[in-house]
Amino acid sequence: MKFKTDNSEIQDFLNDASNFKGTCEGVYFPQNEADIIEILKDANRKNLQVTVSGNGTGLNGGRVPEGGIVISTNNLNRVIEINEEQKYAVVETGVLLSEFHTMIEQKGLFYPPDPTEQNCFLGATVANNSSGAKSFKYGPTRDYVEELDVILPTGDKFTIKRGEISADGFVLKLTTDSGDDIVIQLPRYRMPDTKNSAGYYCKAGMDAIDLFIGSEGTLGIITRVKLKLIDKPENILSCVVFFSDENDALNFIAGAVDLSVNNDDSPDQINALGLEYFDKYSLRFMKEEYPQIPAHAGAAVWFEQEINDYTEEILLDKWVELLSEHNADIETAWIATNDKDREKFKDFRHAVSSKVTEYITREGIRKIGTDTAVPKDQFPEYYNFITKLVEENNIKYIVYGHAGDSHLHLNMMPVNQNEYDLARNIYHRLCEKAVEMKGTVSAEHGIGKLKRNYLKLMYSDENLKAMAKVKRTLDPNLILNIGNIIDPEILKEV
Amino acid sequence: MKIAVCVSHVPDTAAKISIGPDGKNIDPDGVTFVVNPYDEFAIEEALKTREKSGGEVIILSVGSDANKESIRKALAMGADSAVLLKDDSWRDSVAVAGALADEIKNIGAELVFFGKQSVDYDNSIVGQLTAEILGFNCVSVVVSLDINDGKIRAEREIEGGKEVVETSLPAVITAQKGLNEPRYASLKGIMAAKKKTIEEKPAATYENLSEVTEMKRPQVKQPGKIIGTDASAVPELVRLLKEEAKVI
Repeated sequence: MKFKTDNSEIQDFLNDASNFKGTCEGVYFPQNEADIIEILKDANRKNLQVTVSGNGTGLNGGRVPEGGIVISTNNLNRVIEINEEQKYAVVETGVLLSEFHTMIEQKGLFYPPDPTEQNCFLGATVANNSSGAKSFKYGPTRDYVEELDVILPTGDKFTIKRGEISADGFVLKLTTDSGDDIVIQLPRYRMPDTKNSAGYYCKAGMDAIDLFIGSEGTLGIITRVKLKLIDKPENILSCVVFFSDENDALNFIAGAVDLSVNNDDSPDQINALGLEYFDKYSLRFMKEEYPQIPAHAGAAVWFEQEINDYTEEILLDKWVELLSEHNADIETAWIATNDKDREKFKDFRHAVSSKVTEYITREGIRKIGTDTAVPKDQFPEYYNFITKLVEENNIKYIVYGHAGDSHLHLNMMPVNQNEYDLARNIYHRLCEKAVEMKGTVSAEHGIGKLKRNYLKLMYSDENLKAMAKVKRTLDPNLILNIGNIIDPEILKEV
Repeated sequence: MKIAVCVSHVPDTAAKISIGPDGKNIDPDGVTFVVNPYDEFAIEEALKTREKSGGEVIILSVGSDANKESIRKALAMGADSAVLLKDDSWRDSVAVAGALADEIKNIGAELVFFGKQSVDYDNSIVGQLTAEILGFNCVSVVVSLDINDGKIRAEREIEGGKEVVETSLPAVITAQKGLNEPRYASLKGIMAAKKKTIEEKPAATYENLSEVTEMKRPQVKQPGKIIGTDASAVPELVRLLKEEAKVI
């Protein structure tokens, strides 16, 4: 097994897509599960910190090491099985999501989780319970995970199948492959009723597999995953629609959300896969690369829905009716006529975030971006609150994202240190407000090492300690992915 | 003025292509077909010309029913009508150009747009052949176009620079990337396109002057090899570059 220590060879493992940078002694490149067990057993004996690395697309420093060693999952990249009849796939942790999508779709199947950044590893999307535009209809990664192979920090292994082990109330009993019993006392907090990726998933009677999904690598290393697949939709209607007034766009989204969630699965009724919002500042950012954006556009919405030859015309009429009610510009609305166009719209959505990154790199500034979500009925109030607060403070910003899930990314781009400090305060206030509204501080990016302070807004000290106890039960020597989700100080206390 | 745009339906450039069992055609299984990307510039320029000077944009395509998907896209972008010149069998460039020329004469189009080449066979000659058969002027690989009172001023890409050409209608223009930014099909356009019928007629018979006798895959690239990752690998690298690759 390769172990690299040369700075030029390990520097790619010291950061992620945030600007957070760490240090480590070296990077292991295991080829298989046995290699990982060997590394963990050794590290556990020596009390050596281990950080697991995906492909570095995270936004909160989850894979950034703060000392110790790094385990790369790059070489665990085999697709073990694709079962077309029973519609599942078994993959190793380092398979690239974008390649997996292509492979699955060539077989007429579909894997719904679609994080905007597709250049990530499948195991990492499970560890972070990743979601994307289409999660509005299809749900996050969690809903597609049927089986996991997990190596615990002690080097013990177990395979968890969905439906096999449930908690007795808040007590979860697991047995490792070597026969050791582990009893976990789960925290008793109530998770927000929104899309959420902040902290451990905990519920009375929950399935054991759900504790590991979204635990950001803190409880074990996922080496193999069995994922549920569905039939590839016959066809997908995909439109980008422009509005002069942002209120019209937001009301259109609210109308489409209501119709979609109340849909009784009739294929000829409105039932969006996703509803993505772009404010006027986002469109200004994109105008240079997309001259097709109409000059008058004050906001835009990208929506998609499954269609077939029979429903296409009926649904087009229904969407046009809804759009007209909300004063959308039907004349300039873009529609995809084939897969290639649909990919272009996906790129358009992805371009917003990459344009921001390009801009801040060029200007040498740091951005501060939210990942908050609130319950649906609170969304209009929250939107007004966040945009007003930033406008009043004269900080340059754009806002875009998964409005169908009441989940937006507001990116502030402060131009100097004063503005940066101000933006940090505003960010704190935006998180507080989301929590006051029974929402979450992180709907999809996770907590990592950068958002631990905001998790404290959601959960009491007692609950944070309860989370730390779960971690400590599985990782008694505190070696694995320390710093993710739980403050190391709290870990030491329990 | 009637403006014709000739559109071909080609495998997506991102598709993985394999050769069919006869060794003369590609295996279409699992391959997505799209509007030839250069034809999108042709459609856009035709629509812009109509917006500026009025007229009617007519889409022409030679091939099977499958071509209707690309024709629909062109209609959804805003073209007025379309004719599918049906032929399920394979045609070479000359036979395609012949069928198109007949229909262009029939509808009385004075200005004809093509993509500079189709990305399936890459022959880059159908536009020019059509112009020749019709006796039209022809400017190919156009990146900028201005038409006023029947006079045409076009910039075309040439090796290492641009050439400015002046000519007059009737003319064939073949479009190069950079001529414009093709619009997306619009919601309104697609609703209108649903109501438009695609006229179908048999493509005029023209004899193929060439045939495909064999298709071969390009030679598989040899995998690279890593000799080492630090300075100690340099002598071996130099030796291999000298003795094996023979480049130094």
